[in-house]
Amino acid sequence: MDWLEQELREALNRKDPAPDFAERVRWNLRVQEHRPAHGLQFWLATAAAFVIVAGAGGMGYRQHQGEVARQQVMQAFRIAGSNLNHIQAQVREVRR
Amino acid sequence: MRAHQSMVFSLAYHFLHDRESAEEVAQEVFLSLHRNLGAIQSPAHAGFWLRKVTVQRAFDEGRRRKRRPQVALEDIVEPAASVERGDPLLGETLRRLVATLADAPRMVMILRYQEDLDPMEIAELLDMPVATVKSHLQRSLALLRGKLERRGLGER
Repeated sequence: MDWLEQELREALNRKDPAPDFAERVRWNLRVQEHRPAHGLQFWLATAAAFVIVAGAGGMGYRQHQGEVARQQVMQAFRIAGSNLNHIQAQVREVRR
Repeated sequence: MRAHQSMVFSLAYHFLHDRESAEEVAQEVFLSLHRNLGAIQSPAHAGFWLRKVTVQRAFDEGRRRKRRPQVALEDIVEPAASVERGDPLLGETLRRLVATLADAPRMVMILRYQEDLDPMEIAELLDMPVATVKSHLQRSLALLRGKLERRGLGER
């Protein structure tokens, strides 16, 4: 081995990482272990749940809107019926 | 882990010439080891596995950093004429010169002089023919020798 190879061996000797390196690795391991595995199945299930909830919500909203419309029509009928009764009463008054 | 951390960190550090990136690579390697503990058959296999994965991660990080400016020859510290062999300044100059080599020869040099691996072991780690490893070693040494001589640090 010549002098350059000897110098290279000294220049490229092993060096230590920061003193807290091992502790940071252990901390990252703990974080990974406590993190739920969000694989493809998790995201597919999440997407499916979202579609179901959104669909049910949409259906519920449409049902609610239908109920409001039905009540408005009934109210209109009641008002129309009341007006009709009033008119009929007036007609009867006139005929007497 | 402590038994291997300086090996893993130093491979990444000498290849990337950046402490922060080297620590990130080393962290990834040990997290990956933890995920693959079932595949490790013996302490010797663990050492081989760590070297191989560190080399791959260092290459990946090197490719990611390609867009960033690398160490240019003109940035290399010009040692004073009084620099002697074994001087820390010569060591830093050598590390910077190694950092200017292309990826494959740089890793070959690091595995040879940091890890003291022979060309056969380096060829196995890098999936490269032994003849290519030897060629990288010879060319890199000649290149470094030439650059050092131009700086007045050749064989005296």
